[in-house]
Formats: sequence, structure tokens, C-alpha cells
Amino acid sequence: MFNEVEIRAATTAFIASVCVLTVTFVGGGIYWQHNGRLAKDKPSSESEALVAKGRSLFLQSCSHCHGRDADGGEDAPSLLKLQISGAHMTLVIQNGIKDEMPSFAKKYNDADVEKIVAYLKTLK
Amino acid sequence: MIPWEQLHGAMTHFPIALLLFSAACDLASVVLHKFTFARELRRVSFYGVAVSAIASVGAVVSGIALTNGNMWGRGDLGWHHRFIWPAFGLLVALAVWRLIVKDAMSRAGLCVYLVLMVMASGFIAAAGYFGGELVLGGG
Repeated sequence: MFNEVEIRAATTAFIASVCVLTVTFVGGGIYWQHNGRLAKDKPSSESEALVAKGRSLFLQSCSHCHGRDADGGEDAPSLLKLQISGAHMTLVIQNGIKDEMPSFAKKYNDADVEKIVAYLKTLK
Repeated sequence: MIPWEQLHGAMTHFPIALLLFSAACDLASVVLHKFTFARELRRVSFYGVAVSAIASVGAVVSGIALTNGNMWGRGDLGWHHRFIWPAFGLLVALAVWRLIVKDAMSRAGLCVYLVLMVMASGFIAAAGYFGGELVLGGG
């Protein structure tokens, strides 16, 4: 059925694949740990990046209605000085408001919504 | 500062395109085995899968750097990883196997190889789809 060269090659290929995946995951894990330590050292720059990304997403999808500075538009209210929690903001972004605001659950994943919420929390 | 997002975007297309091309050439060489160019198609597919495996290392390294070493993740990133790791493992194994066996393939060996190539192509195409969703958004 299979010749000898193929069987030997299959064993080598399996070992090579396992080795490459192991090195990849171990390397990735070490990089993850290293970056985790960096994040602890620089919390402000991390959160600044989160807010900046959140503003970028806001400009892409929310500013049409809420205004570029989130101070409200013709069809949507101002988002300055929101008195609701981050969890509530997440809920509204993901589920929308019936007949008023569309859901963004399909467009943005949890991490993206977290960035938008981080940006909204900085608005005063 | 290395622009990992752009680098990953640039590098990741090579293994995807070459693997799909290699699989297509292999399947074509089987379907058109009576023609003399079937042998050339197999040779092209051999180089395709070899270069695809080499290029995939760059794509994986840039991807790991882009996600700060997050090997799994949630949402589209999670789905991207669910497909990319089996694709990467299969691609390396298939390239190594092909490199050793070359043209000394039995009929059964060729069948198993083609099935695994189609599987790897499916995995890498799905990973590419969810990678695209991460960049372009789902809505």
C-alpha cells in the first residue's frame, strides 16, 4: 500500500510538525509573558493606545450620528459626560437601541467594543 | 517600531496563495494524468508547497508579534487561531513529507497527501477569512 520511503517520510514529517508547533507555542508563550511584564511597567501607554484605537473605531462607525467629537448630531445624542457604566455602554453598543441605534455586535468583537468604551469613558 | 500589522498583512498572503495553488496543481495533475504536462504540474506543486511552508514561518512570527504572543484569543481572533494552527502544522508536515518522498509516491500515498492538502487548504482559507474579518470588520 504505502512504500517504505513514504512511511519513513511520514514519521519525519509528523516529528517536524510537532517540533515546529511546540517551538511556536513555547516562543509565543514567552513573548506573551514578556509583554505582560512590559504592560505592568507601562500601564499608561497601554491604556492610551486602547483609547486611541477606540477613538479611531468611534470615528469609523459612530461619528456619523454622534458627531466627530461625540457632542451629538441631528439624529443622535451627545455622548459627553455619560452617566452609565462601562458594562452598560458595552451592552448598548453590542445590542443597539430598538428603532434608534443599530447593533454593532457583528461589526466589532469584544476587544473592539472595549476600546470604544475606553474612549467614551475619557469624554468630558 | 516594527509595523507588524502591515508586515503580517503582506506576508500572510504568500502561504495562503501558494498552498491553494499547490493543491490545485496537484489535483489537476491527477485529473489530467494522461497528459505529459501532468508531471510539470506536480513539480510546480512541489515548489509551491515548499515555498508556502517557508513563507508561513514569516507569517506566523509576524502574527505572534502582532498579537503580543496571544496564541488563542476570542471572537474572530480565536477563530483565526483555531484554523491557523492546524493549517500551519499540516503545511509543515506535508512540505517535509513531499521533500523526502519527491516523486516516489505510491497511489495510496498520493491519495492521503491530496486529502490532507485539501484539508490544509480549507483550514488556511478559513483562517484567512477570519483574519480578514479582524482587519475589515464583519458589518
